Amino acid sequence: MNSGMSKGINSAWKLGNHAFESRLLIGTGKFSSVEIMVAAVRASGAQLVTVALRRFNRERPSDDLYGPLSGLPGVTIVPNTSGARNAEEAVRAALLGRELSGSPFVKLEIHPNPHHLMPDPIETFEAARELVKEGFLVLPYMPADPVLAKRLEEIGCAAVMPLGSAIGSGHGLRTREMLEIIIRDSNVPVIVDAGLRSPSEASLAMEMGCEAVLVNSAIAAADNPPAMAAAFAMAVRAGYAAREAGLMSKSDNAVPTSPLTAFLKEETP
Amino acid sequence: MRLTVNGEPHNHTGDKTIEALLKEIGADPRRVVVMINGDVVCREARASVRLEDGDIVEVLAFAGGG
Amino acid sequence: MSAAHSAWLDPGPWLEVSAASDANKVNAAILCERPGVAELAVLLSPAAGKYLDLMAHRAQLITRRHFGKTISLYAPLYVSNHCASGCLYCGFASDRDVPRRRLQKDELLAEILALKQKGLEEVLLLTGERSDKADFGYLLDCVSAASAHFSSVTVESFSMTEGEYAQLGQAGCTGITLYQETYDPAVYRKMHRWGFKRDYAWRLDAPARALSAGLRTAGVGVLLGLADPVADLLCLFRHIQYLRKTFWQAGILVSFPRICPQNGGYPPSQPVQDDLLAQIIFAFRICLPDVPLVLSTREKPHFRDGIAGIGISRMSVASKTTVGGYSRAGDGAAQDGQGQFDVMDPRSVEEFCEALRKKGLCPVLKNWDAAFQPPRFS
Repeated sequence: MNSGMSKGINSAWKLGNHAFESRLLIGTGKFSSVEIMVAAVRASGAQLVTVALRRFNRERPSDDLYGPLSGLPGVTIVPNTSGARNAEEAVRAALLGRELSGSPFVKLEIHPNPHHLMPDPIETFEAARELVKEGFLVLPYMPADPVLAKRLEEIGCAAVMPLGSAIGSGHGLRTREMLEIIIRDSNVPVIVDAGLRSPSEASLAMEMGCEAVLVNSAIAAADNPPAMAAAFAMAVRAGYAAREAGLMSKSDNAVPTSPLTAFLKEETP
Repeated sequence: MRLTVNGEPHNHTGDKTIEALLKEIGADPRRVVVMINGDVVCREARASVRLEDGDIVEVLAFAGGG
Repeated sequence: MSAAHSAWLDPGPWLEVSAASDANKVNAAILCERPGVAELAVLLSPAAGKYLDLMAHRAQLITRRHFGKTISLYAPLYVSNHCASGCLYCGFASDRDVPRRRLQKDELLAEILALKQKGLEEVLLLTGERSDKADFGYLLDCVSAASAHFSSVTVESFSMTEGEYAQLGQAGCTGITLYQETYDPAVYRKMHRWGFKRDYAWRLDAPARALSAGLRTAGVGVLLGLADPVADLLCLFRHIQYLRKTFWQAGILVSFPRICPQNGGYPPSQPVQDDLLAQIIFAFRICLPDVPLVLSTREKPHFRDGIAGIGISRMSVASKTTVGGYSRAGDGAAQDGQGQFDVMDPRSVEEFCEALRKKGLCPVLKNWDAAFQPPRFS
């Protein structure tokens, strides 16, 4: 965790009963090496780090992230269910992940199509319902749909994670209008996930009212991932601080044409 | 004992415990989770589980992924 | 909501925002893309009162986006004026000397048919506060009868339990209208001298109970004139925000009933003049772009015609506020002066629809029906 910024401001947020200071979550996919990934996680200050579950491979012992990540102070490993194509597989993945991590968090991610990687709303809902019953704190990755967000909240998800745009696309907050509705109506934290390309987009998401953001591709694919991770961390803190400080409203001047309120001056007939 | 471990046939020569199997395949018990025939084996139960001929075993670890 | 009432509903901070408004803040609030209670506070301020036409234009633009150029119409149907409560401001208070009656089955049917003949499809059934002479069972029967004929039946009646609301829903009721009257507990206590309505918290939670029970809509509002309108309206907005977040599938509607003089009636302590009422409606339209705003026939024709489509999206028409007023099933000549309030716009459905069309607005008499629901056998 870097600068002394925001010390003294109570900026913690909660998932269930767990409080976190950092509002940047980081994914661990697509990095060129475990060393660079660990350096990026460290630079990001992230306290929630998502990982996948894969078959143990004795040929590649350094692929294992358990050791490197559990050594980082303040980091909670959040297993994700990426690879599952339906609810049953996702539930199994979640159970495996919890057994290994020992923590109740699961990032529920079910994308049956390997090209666009869009989340399956129906399987996600079914899996979430099951996992909440099993005592998980479910963080469901979902299309930016306001109704689905309320349904997931209703069945007990700890947060909702609507996508900004397709995973890896770098298209930013394409779903902005929907995100605004989701944020306005949500009683659980809204964590934008997927599609963010630049720190300014992360800042914007925070200004809009997101509780936190999750970034993976934009950091992993940067020329200098640890530096990019630090930049995202600053941007997330900036966006949050700006929102708390009360942004100045946009203002043009509205000029009416013909008066609509003449009726107020009419005499009663 | 013939097992399937992580999708591959595996001839298990040690005793029938999970600990023996993990040692055989070079996995650190603290860093993996084990599933037998589709059921997750929790840590506390590992000591009491006995492998059987034909079991399908999955040994998983955390890896990079968003 | 009970425990959090006072904190959630305290208008204090927002009254300060309102008092600190100036031309720049008003301009910013009018154009704000995502207005909240702070913007409402600014738009209800005297400073904003100088910019009514600006507000009106913005209100019209927003109304057109969400409601097109339509006005949905409904009729109130008073089924009973029996009342056991003592609300100071109401023509039906139990210490008032008015003939009390409730419609019998055949009279109710006559009223229903009279309304249907006028082309009306959406009806609001009204009663006084809970009383032995017109109890829940009676209301339930009325709802059953009405829902056989109207595509939308809502009720404006006494506060009920969640179980009672659920029964109403099963009988065909789609929503309730229930005004807190005032959110000021001291004024509330003074106004509601006796009866069940005296319980502030029970009434406050009634819309939430109705929506919990599965009713589709809740209409809310304050009785303008009872207390400080700005404070009451800020509380109303907070209440609406709470209901919308908690009951995400529900429809909320807002009405703007204003105390008007009435035979031997209650003089409002803080009367709301026409300009302020218009300002209030514009402010609510700007801050609640997608919520139907309702105006009744308490208001005069030229005001109703002027504000239709500029904020207001739903209106009652051809109203009778006496029991049995439509089919003359009531007390004959004694009727017209003894309604719950005076009807200031007596125009018929045809006349009012014609006035709306002249303004380029399309009257809509039916918005929803139960065709897709499983059949309800009586």
